[in-house]
Amino acid sequence: MEFTDVEQLQQALARERYIADRGLAVSLYLALTLRRPLLLEGEPGVGKTEVARTLSRVLPARLIRLQCYEGIDAGQALYEWNYSRQLLYARTLQEGSLDPDRKAAELYGPEFLVERPLLAAVRAGSGAVLLVDELDRADEEFEAFLLEVLADAAVTIPEIGTVAAETPPVVIITSNRTRELHDALKRRCLYHWIDYPDREREVKIIRLRAPEASQALAESVAELVGRLRELDLAKPPGPAEAIDWTRALAALGIGTVDADSAGETLGWAIKGRDDMAIARRALIDRLGG
Amino acid sequence: MSVADGTEPLGRVRDLAEALRDAGVPVGTGRLVGLARAAAAVEPDDLYWAARATLISRREDVAAFDRAFASVFGLPERTEPPLPEPVPDRRQRVVAPSDLSTGDDGSSDTSLASPVETLRRKDFASCTEDELAQIARMMARLRVRAPVRRTRRRRPARTGDPDLRRTLRRAMRTGGEPIERAWRRRRVQRRRLLLILDVSGSMSTYSRALALFAHASLRAGPGDWEAFAFGTRLTRMTRALSVADADVAIAAAAAEVSDWDGGTRIGASIRRLIDEHGRTRVVRGATCVILSDGLDVGDTELLAEQMARLSRLAHRVVWLNPLKGHDAYEPLARGMAAALPHIDVFRPGHNLQSLEEVADVIARL
Repeated sequence: MEFTDVEQLQQALARERYIADRGLAVSLYLALTLRRPLLLEGEPGVGKTEVARTLSRVLPARLIRLQCYEGIDAGQALYEWNYSRQLLYARTLQEGSLDPDRKAAELYGPEFLVERPLLAAVRAGSGAVLLVDELDRADEEFEAFLLEVLADAAVTIPEIGTVAAETPPVVIITSNRTRELHDALKRRCLYHWIDYPDREREVKIIRLRAPEASQALAESVAELVGRLRELDLAKPPGPAEAIDWTRALAALGIGTVDADSAGETLGWAIKGRDDMAIARRALIDRLGG
Repeated sequence: MSVADGTEPLGRVRDLAEALRDAGVPVGTGRLVGLARAAAAVEPDDLYWAARATLISRREDVAAFDRAFASVFGLPERTEPPLPEPVPDRRQRVVAPSDLSTGDDGSSDTSLASPVETLRRKDFASCTEDELAQIARMMARLRVRAPVRRTRRRRPARTGDPDLRRTLRRAMRTGGEPIERAWRRRRVQRRRLLLILDVSGSMSTYSRALALFAHASLRAGPGDWEAFAFGTRLTRMTRALSVADADVAIAAAAAEVSDWDGGTRIGASIRRLIDEHGRTRVVRGATCVILSDGLDVGDTELLAEQMARLSRLAHRVVWLNPLKGHDAYEPLARGMAAALPHIDVFRPGHNLQSLEEVADVIARL
């Protein structure tokens, strides 16, 4: 689906239950029209990954996700040969009477290639949304490698040749900022920092994602979560936690949050013992013991 | 905002770039080209967002961007909630502390004749200026090495796990029969070292020597190690200490640390360190070396809490306490007692020999 302006994209996202503010919508629109990768940063739980998921549904395109972790390498991100199959095949070839040149060509044929996310995305081209999730977890060397693939939207496999995308895929990169990404990569990307939503938008988000909850419950949770974010917590609750919390409360049949129900279900919003103690004290102040 | 018509906006975009550059945000031509294309793709009203998405890539730069944008185009229609103030510039110049080392200012008469061995065992607190200079030279030869960790990457090895890729390659030579097998192993990588230096008043007789140790360590390291100093507040010293010349480096560090020889608030300083750097690799998984006497005037409960946090984030916590060099010392000071349960290695650091030993211990952690 082509979008002619930002509003249209924003509405399409909203239909898929994603409320994007204007800034995010503009960034996404530009990523789509200019085909530049979009680097999304923000506190955990503000919906960075969800953006890519939703975008793949509205386009529609195939979502190809590359979850980064320490030590990820080309074999896990780009492609790998199916070595065991190749070995078996090599032995059967030996019994046959192929000339050696053909053997090599057959042994490194496409059927032995194990496609990993980056290659899959380049092959799919505009039919894919490539989500490079939590890039900050990967090693710095991996960034340089990723940059190379993103720059040309092409992958060169020595045995087969170059696979290039006619139209590059939509690329969404997320980072939790556990380390600063390299400037070279950033220069190539559009950038958007996803902030916590304001109260009104958060209520909307909660209502969309937890339709079983009442308006009153959504409002009270959004209010409380807003308070919790003002506290000095190591991990303030994001919209994701607010949604989880609301769903937990709704499942318990609670209409609005009070001190008891909040205390009993606080683990849905606060993750960490020290934070829990701070939050409990604040809750008591706020809602009464 | 009527900004996207005619040729005039181009000039203003250049003004915007200039304003950003003036604010210390690097804006390359590539980014400007990006903005030009982005601006053409969206409505004029979205110029703010288009420019923000193309010109900057750090959250910290958003505030500078907003100011620059406002100065060139007037206020944007959508104002974002104010961001937390950027970390205040801590490079306030203060008078460099004059007595970083000992009170004994060069009126030595015997030190130069001291044999190296004696000097290695001499308490830093009783060293003269000349002796410290000599120790500095000896420290420069000190090789501090961080412990290693296994990464997920693999390298060819003589033994280890089967390496099918290379086995297949070799099988080609023997007609597809994998006779010669290949192996691979996890690569190892050195951990990062994080030095946290107490430069409060009670440490004044040691802080110069320990700063020299920090300097020598950073020089020996691979370039991504970090050093911080604290008294009542925390200051990053890494950059200052990266200068080759030890004296210049320490003078620069002293100029950046505004509370040299002041009080001590270890808990608050460590808290600051973790809040600012806890989620980066500066702390996470690093080998953390604290050099302090543990005489804390701050809240000991806070110290215990923050040490616990630190020990969870860091690979190992090493605490070097110069006072421990004295035979009669026991960690009774409230701060030290509070921190002790969260320390992996507790050692003295009062003379060169003890630091040399520590360097060995660290490498094996």
